[in-house]
Amino acid sequence: MQPDTSAVTIQPCKHCGSQAPVDVHFCPRCDRILTLGRHGDYFTFFGLPRRLQVDVPDLEQRFRALSRQFHPDYFYNANSTERLASLERSSYLNDGFRTLREPVERLEYLLKLEGFAPKEAHEATSQVPPELLEEVFELNEQLEAIQQMRAGGAAEAEVAAKLEAARQPIQANLDVHERRLNTLMTQHDAQWERGDVADRRVTLEAMRALLVERTYLANLLATVRRELGGDQAARV
Amino acid sequence: MSKVVGIDLGTTNSLVATVREGVPLVLADESGDALLPSIVSAGDHDTIYVGREAQRRLLTDPTRTVYSVKRFMGRGIEDVAGESRWFPFTISGETGGVVHIHLGERELTPPEVSGFILRELRRRAETTFAREGDVDPEVDRAVITVPAYFNDAQRTATRDAGRLAGLDVLRIINEPTAACLAYGLDKSHQGVIAVYDFGGGTFDISILKVEDGVFQVLSTNGDTHLGGDDIDRLLVEQIVAELGLDPATWGHAVQAIRRAVIQAKWDLSEFDQADILVYRMPGRAEPYRRHITRVEFETLIAPIVERTMQPCRRALEDAGLRPDQVDEVVLVGGSTRIPMVRREVELLFGKAPHSDLNPDEVVAIGAAVQADILVTGRREMLLLDVTPLSLGIETMGGIVSKIILRNSTIPAGGSEMFTTFVDSQTAVDIHILQGEREMAADNRSLGRFKLRGIPPMPAGLPRVQVRFQIDANGILSVHARELRTNVEQAIEVKPSYGLTDEEVERMLIESFEHAQEDVEARMLIEVRNEAETIMQATEKTLRRQDFDEIAAARLSPAEIASIRSALADLVSAMSVSDRNLLQAKSQALNDATRHLAEVMMNWTIQAALAGRTADEVASEGR
Repeated sequence: MQPDTSAVTIQPCKHCGSQAPVDVHFCPRCDRILTLGRHGDYFTFFGLPRRLQVDVPDLEQRFRALSRQFHPDYFYNANSTERLASLERSSYLNDGFRTLREPVERLEYLLKLEGFAPKEAHEATSQVPPELLEEVFELNEQLEAIQQMRAGGAAEAEVAAKLEAARQPIQANLDVHERRLNTLMTQHDAQWERGDVADRRVTLEAMRALLVERTYLANLLATVRRELGGDQAARV
Repeated sequence: MSKVVGIDLGTTNSLVATVREGVPLVLADESGDALLPSIVSAGDHDTIYVGREAQRRLLTDPTRTVYSVKRFMGRGIEDVAGESRWFPFTISGETGGVVHIHLGERELTPPEVSGFILRELRRRAETTFAREGDVDPEVDRAVITVPAYFNDAQRTATRDAGRLAGLDVLRIINEPTAACLAYGLDKSHQGVIAVYDFGGGTFDISILKVEDGVFQVLSTNGDTHLGGDDIDRLLVEQIVAELGLDPATWGHAVQAIRRAVIQAKWDLSEFDQADILVYRMPGRAEPYRRHITRVEFETLIAPIVERTMQPCRRALEDAGLRPDQVDEVVLVGGSTRIPMVRREVELLFGKAPHSDLNPDEVVAIGAAVQADILVTGRREMLLLDVTPLSLGIETMGGIVSKIILRNSTIPAGGSEMFTTFVDSQTAVDIHILQGEREMAADNRSLGRFKLRGIPPMPAGLPRVQVRFQIDANGILSVHARELRTNVEQAIEVKPSYGLTDEEVERMLIESFEHAQEDVEARMLIEVRNEAETIMQATEKTLRRQDFDEIAAARLSPAEIASIRSALADLVSAMSVSDRNLLQAKSQALNDATRHLAEVMMNWTIQAALAGRTADEVASEGR
């Protein structure tokens, strides 16, 4: 992930050499599309404040409007520098839209921007968060029992009922996590509005811990779903 | 200014369209036919025939005639091993490499064979523009469509085919998206649209959101090896089994049966039952006839139709939508004429699908519109498509690390950091893959490259950033940079199932060497078209209700006999690819009917003078 680039405020125009603000897409002087060299983050790229609550229809509207400004279709006859700029800007726009549209990805992204990323990739996925140890232990036992039932030729309906019973507490816990995250997100945005730096850092740290657990729970649910749906590995 | 066109390079048929004064239209050949059969055949001295002529030769010279070449684009011999015995032509190639198709005495790659089809379409467009008095009829740029679910190798092969036909391929676009663009021309189609595209060899489903003139693909799924061809093959297999034929030794019979089952398949879209009828079955004295009911047909094809449903459910899931959130379902491709297909689609989406536009032409029209957008820079419409498959690289233990996820809007980019494992290591091997599976071996290999020129440093110290960029065509390019030294690395990807630039260049040069043979093929087609015209005019006259009356008054029995015999000669000359013979027989019929033509003309004039209305006379002459 990119380091915090919010300190960067200007970008050069390769065409006329003038300085442009970092969050504009076209040179204010010569009107050419700017190469995507120095840039801010997805939020500034879309002209949005760094908030966790995003009005999705508004985001879509911005996405379409920006696509219409720099999609490669419209630079077919331009020179190679502008074509490359259009390609890079469109790529960045598409990646940004994908990230900001999904609440979880948006949160992960903002945490990284603010320096609260999970320290290592495995922290988010493989290590069991201490709070969830008991639940995971229980689920594994249930899954093992279910696999034995399957091997013993138990009726599919019976297996499915057992799986559903195993799934429910995890789903309930995930719902709790999402509600708590939502509350924290609202809190974060209010603190951001007020410029309440110290409290906001506490909120970010709390969201980071919750998010690690939430991701873990979501992966557990995916495991159960795979078990429910039979051989999902054949999916291509 | 030279022209641009949109081309639908289909498995069964191909079309070319253009936009004129803002209106898209499909271009037909001299006989008014818009569909060009995607068939290429090699005659004597490697003369190349494309389209209807090649289709005729499929029955007379099947081993030198290639159809469904699209199924081989960007694929390896191991991908097509299961079906190759059903094709009359020979294919070869090494495992893990490009397929070679034997076309007469030549061994060609699928892009070269497709290149012949594209060249024919290009010629058709140029002829049309020239006939209409265009000062610069040359066509040198095109948008070509591909199935949405085509991978990088299949897309690249299509682009290479365009280059081999002398076309600058402005853009590769997805068929369902092109169809949606054609539908979107009239502004009433807004909201969430599912395009179900079931063609001759491929199946695609795309879910789009159309708003403010932006056509945004939300998700796509499909099967690049599932189409009407597979239905035909099921029927052929059934009959071959019933007759106890060996397809390897009865290539002619299989092609005759194939033609008959295709006709029966069409009939079954309209009627509850049909006959599979082969008049002249090689190896049999009497005609072959087999009755088939729609119920039997549907039982047979049900597994194939079901195979299109799973991709639809996955596309909906990836778009995060329930079937009832889809506003409209659009049908594209010839196989959507099958009533069972329509019924199943309606069942899945809970609404009647529609196909107001001709499902054969809609893709070419969309391609022409996109070509027009690119050239003119007009901005009222914009296509935002996605990459159908995730892109990744092989990591330790043969596991795939995904870099760009499927259904990402393109252009899309992603990067990955690499380092070295031993001191002073200057190169790293990288294997690029496309697909959704965890293990590298289960995905499509796109290519391998060696990252070279890494400055010698202790192990683990270099930081090489490799950037993967998928452009608006869905085609990948790779760049790398060592971050400590900021040195750009040279990357040359060896495509697994594609051609290198040098190979394409060499093929282009070779294709010029064969230009003379193409001229020969062209001339045969022109002669055949003339022959067809005079044949049809003569047959029509002979069928007139008042012909006996006219003949009794103005023609001798000997004259009528010689006309009939010249006509029969020409009909039989039509079944072989001999230009001189065809020209001679055509001329003979022309001579034999010269007096007849005068008689008919006079008869018509007299009828007019006798007080009949001009309209009646005109309608007879038509």
